[in-house]
Amino acid sequence: MNVSIVPALKVLRPAAMLVVVVLVGLVLGYWANATFVPGTSPEQPIAFSHRIHAGENEIPCQYCHTQARRSPSAGVPSVSKCVGCHNEVATERPQIRLLLDYWANQQPIPWIKVHDLPDFVHFTHKRHVLAEIACQTCHGPVETMDRIQLTSRAIDGSTQAGHPWKMGLCLNCHRENEVENGTDCLTCHK
Amino acid sequence: MPNIERREFLKLIGAGSVGVGAGFMLRESAKHPTEYLIPHVVAPEDFSSGIATWYNSVCSMCPAGCGISVRTREGLAKKIEGNPLHPVNQGRLCALGQAGLQVLYNPDRLTEPLRQTAERGSTSFEKITWDEGLDQVGERLDLLRAAGRGNRVALLSQGVRGHLAQLFESFMQQMGSERLLHYDFNHPHTLYAANQRFFGEDRLPYYDLQNTRLLLSFGADYLATWISPVHHSLGFGESRQGRPDIRGKFIQIEPRMSISGAAADEWIAARPGTEGFLALGLAHHIVAEGNYQGADRADWVTALADYSPSQVAEQTGLPVTTIVRLADMFVDIDPSLAIGGGAAANHSNGVDTLVAVNVLNYLVGNIGREGGLVFNPEPSGPVSRRRQASYLSMLELAEAARQGEIDVLILNSTNPVFTLPAAAEFRQALAEIPLIVSLSSFLDETTALADLILPSHTYLESWGDDFPEPGVGFSVGAVSQPVVSPLYNTRATGDIILALAQRIGASNAMPWNSMEEFLKDGWRQIYERGDAQTLAQGFDAFWISVLRAGVWGETTRRNTEFTLERSVIAGIGVQTPEFSGSEEEYPFILHPYLSPNFHDGRGANLPWMQELPDPMTSVVYGSWVEINPVTAEQLGFTEGDLVEIQSPHGTVRAPVFIFPAIMPDVIAMPIGQGHHEYGRYAKDRGVNPIEILSPQIEPVTGSLASSATRVKLVATGRRVKLVKTSGMSRDLGRDIVQTTGPTGVEVSSARPNSIPITEVTS
Repeated sequence: MNVSIVPALKVLRPAAMLVVVVLVGLVLGYWANATFVPGTSPEQPIAFSHRIHAGENEIPCQYCHTQARRSPSAGVPSVSKCVGCHNEVATERPQIRLLLDYWANQQPIPWIKVHDLPDFVHFTHKRHVLAEIACQTCHGPVETMDRIQLTSRAIDGSTQAGHPWKMGLCLNCHRENEVENGTDCLTCHK
Repeated sequence: MPNIERREFLKLIGAGSVGVGAGFMLRESAKHPTEYLIPHVVAPEDFSSGIATWYNSVCSMCPAGCGISVRTREGLAKKIEGNPLHPVNQGRLCALGQAGLQVLYNPDRLTEPLRQTAERGSTSFEKITWDEGLDQVGERLDLLRAAGRGNRVALLSQGVRGHLAQLFESFMQQMGSERLLHYDFNHPHTLYAANQRFFGEDRLPYYDLQNTRLLLSFGADYLATWISPVHHSLGFGESRQGRPDIRGKFIQIEPRMSISGAAADEWIAARPGTEGFLALGLAHHIVAEGNYQGADRADWVTALADYSPSQVAEQTGLPVTTIVRLADMFVDIDPSLAIGGGAAANHSNGVDTLVAVNVLNYLVGNIGREGGLVFNPEPSGPVSRRRQASYLSMLELAEAARQGEIDVLILNSTNPVFTLPAAAEFRQALAEIPLIVSLSSFLDETTALADLILPSHTYLESWGDDFPEPGVGFSVGAVSQPVVSPLYNTRATGDIILALAQRIGASNAMPWNSMEEFLKDGWRQIYERGDAQTLAQGFDAFWISVLRAGVWGETTRRNTEFTLERSVIAGIGVQTPEFSGSEEEYPFILHPYLSPNFHDGRGANLPWMQELPDPMTSVVYGSWVEINPVTAEQLGFTEGDLVEIQSPHGTVRAPVFIFPAIMPDVIAMPIGQGHHEYGRYAKDRGVNPIEILSPQIEPVTGSLASSATRVKLVATGRRVKLVKTSGMSRDLGRDIVQTTGPTGVEVSSARPNSIPITEVTS
């Protein structure tokens, strides 16, 4: 008896093609999303530029992020802090107008969080700032960014835009600097 | 490329699009959800984001008056701990105190002023403004005051101390009303009366558990509910483990084993209500053996003549040998201390019993010294113990209401509808009062009957102070400060009273704008009485230092001399306890005990406390009735059988819990559950044993003899499954719990299947 799978394949061919096309589409869609809408540099309610403030005008990071050396969280400046300068500076620009509107309504600005750590990681800015680790070590060249971009660092030290932090980043640095208990699980996961 | 038909081509395009869409969405769904960084509009001065700020304050979850430290972040309270500087709790805090956060954040809080729109108890309310509410009450009060009928106004509060109590006093004085009552179900009326009779002062002494070597507790569950449980627990720990080579011995005498009984070295069950006989029996033996040699020895011999160990053995059901052994031990171990409270104090002979306990302390010289009981100085701030309402005073209030003598009743965080027996008919009496105003934070059973609710802040949002009673042997005051801004449109109780004072035209006598101002004024007087060192720093610095520490006062105890009035001795004696209901019809004595979780029921709306298994039975949620295994066997009950507990004054239903450490003719029920209102966590859960208590009175104080009700058990034929965390209460030879004999040396070889009950029966 002669058994061939060819007739079966012939019948299945349209279905197989459908599956292949769906799979290719799936990869394509995934890639398109990751490439064109990565969400690692979201549009903020006000187009605040770190390049102008920290880069051109060389305002120190901790002038605005005052909590960084005192608290686990670096903190975002209060609206009144922004207005402190912008009552006088560049008051006519549309983005500053937006800021002054928030101030006039006594509303907070809903900034979108870009850099984030999972809740099971205990990180404190205070220790790292007091150890004089530059902000850019983790946050990338913020002073060159118009819009904040999620940035990480590769093992070789090069900047990786669009990548979230991974545990390796912490461990590498802790190892290099020979941090006491720096590779102990409970140092960060507690 | 093979030929593709048009139809086929369209199919592929469609499939491709679905694929691309699905891929896109797949990646999208893997993204972190958007989070926001919301800045302050203006940076606050009193906290930095991310950094915890601790505020010291005072716990108000029970009358013990512990100091608390509250951790706040970004202006919100996150955790409550004990204040290490406060001498009452020294950094410790009980579960109920820790659950105070759930008072603050409780979803059932009353968040704004309300007016009842339909009949009372319908709980249909409309929102009103503060001015509307205060005006409505204020106008009524003003009219009554102007007409000289201020006495038609009654203010019924939970027990409060400190300047809020004083504010109530001034306000009611301005109203011209004597009807100011503080009502707590478990206020130790009999203890105050017994100390008044024996020591001649109406303060509670300090019981020095920490330095004693033998504690004889007559019914006082000092580790869980009696007076100041956190402080007693500290003392207990110190006594057991805090001194090298000395291990304090604890003996508990009670009909049903409480937490203190379980922690004791020996648990002895005397017949309910005969604890006073036992104490006098010990006293008799001490005097008869010549172990007391005071000048008034002859008086004692006469006074104690009827309490020989053999007579007392008959009354208490305990063997003579036990009585003699306890008496000898009480003399031999020095220092020793006897305390009395709980069920022993809540019989018709409660005061006599507690006086008898004091007799023991007197005879062996425990009074006014370390390891015994030390007298407290007069508190440095106002306390209003004379306002504490007994059961009789509450009946008088109810009667006055029935006679139409009360026009306005102001309630402050007290819930008498729940904590008075149904026999008091308090609820019915309330119906006769034209205007009931409640200042409570929750819609409890009594507040549900109010016409007007002017909700007050919780204790974590308001100013106040406290002078713990009993103190710790020296004078201590603590300031309660708001640790968070008010969450809702509520007001501090003191501020409401001051607002009403303005509306009755009493601003001259009560010129303060807020409770904070009044409190500072009061503490200025305390400051001015201070020593030179205190005065040198100036009031502002003093005030800030008190707020920082959360507590202020002396730090050392003084030993005091005590001489007993001879006339007291002749009056020593204990009456046979009276029970309500005949023994034939109602064979069991009901032993209602305060739940360590819910106190008198006020903790029942806190989910943490509901989830916390009862320490003795491990039962979670609901109510139960504890029955001795022998009794249960005789009646044919097993665990989970739903029974009716019938007293001459009512019936409740609860499932049976077989409890080996209870006398066979006693049944026990925890107090705290059985709310009909009081929020989603408390409502319709379990039953309230207070409801069926007989109105038996302790005649000296007029307080309710809450342990003097007889009941019978009636099977319903229904069963429920008790929710509990422990599987089986028995060891069954599995060597899980090693037991030691009373000598403390050998490990017993026999592993009983249950605690031997033969010693308990009489």
